[in-house]
Amino acid sequence: MIISKKVEFSASHICRSERLSDAENQRVYGAASNPLGHGHNYIVEVAIEGQPDPVTGMILDLKDLKEILEARVLSVYDHRLLNREVEPFSRSGGLVPTVENIAVDIWNRLVGVIDPTGRASLFSVRVHETAELFVEYRGEGA
Amino acid sequence: MTVHLSRRYGFSASHRLHSQKLSEEQNRLVYGKCNNPNGHGHNYEVELTVAGPVDPITGRMVDLVSLDRVAEEQILQPFRFRNLNEEVEVFRTAVPTTENLAGEVDRRLRAIWREVFPEGPVLEKVRIWETERNICEIHPTYE
Repeated sequence: MIISKKVEFSASHICRSERLSDAENQRVYGAASNPLGHGHNYIVEVAIEGQPDPVTGMILDLKDLKEILEARVLSVYDHRLLNREVEPFSRSGGLVPTVENIAVDIWNRLVGVIDPTGRASLFSVRVHETAELFVEYRGEGA
Repeated sequence: MTVHLSRRYGFSASHRLHSQKLSEEQNRLVYGKCNNPNGHGHNYEVELTVAGPVDPITGRMVDLVSLDRVAEEQILQPFRFRNLNEEVEVFRTAVPTTENLAGEVDRRLRAIWREVFPEGPVLEKVRIWETERNICEIHPTYE
């Protein structure tokens, strides 16, 4: 059984790779390559897989999940410039904060801390960058 | 690592659900008000899901410029503000239900996919919303 929780954060980013020329950055990222940055209201859907506890009827305590998402994702990402303030995007030569890389990074921050008892596990992380674009990562090839 | 990216597009079009293989009465029974001889329209939404590894340099899994161009050329331009029954060849005979529309989008994309994306990613899923409550999903298969 899978249960999903949705949270939001707002952040700015610049989609530019230091390893590409200006022309290549423009071709690959288009308007998103603006060196001054731009932002989105991101929506993160976290899906958890497990069996409901026979006593509580819950796969995991959603209050705990809320706290984990707040501590591990929102406090890190919300109202930040990702290229400057959030690892693994902020270090020199770091990853480009595309929605693909954001989904993988959020997975990496959550996997292993969702439920220490092992009843529930992280199934997927879906990050919506706009109403027209989202990425899902299920830890494949991690 | 494999990620799954979904991109959504919209187009508006008109259609009439009417099968040449059914009688007038059967058509009315099967399709109800969608069988209105004058046709009607929808704001369709199409969601394409593609899957593959993330490029370590660009951080992208698919070239969105190419994906948008393919969607524009193969789906949006041929369908946008069209009467599907009259102006899209396949629907001169096939009934333009959401199911058949999803099948046609899948067929058009698969026909050019390898040429546009020779090294991946793969087209994993096509979803079409006819209305907010009427959605069809197809998982393309490759020979």
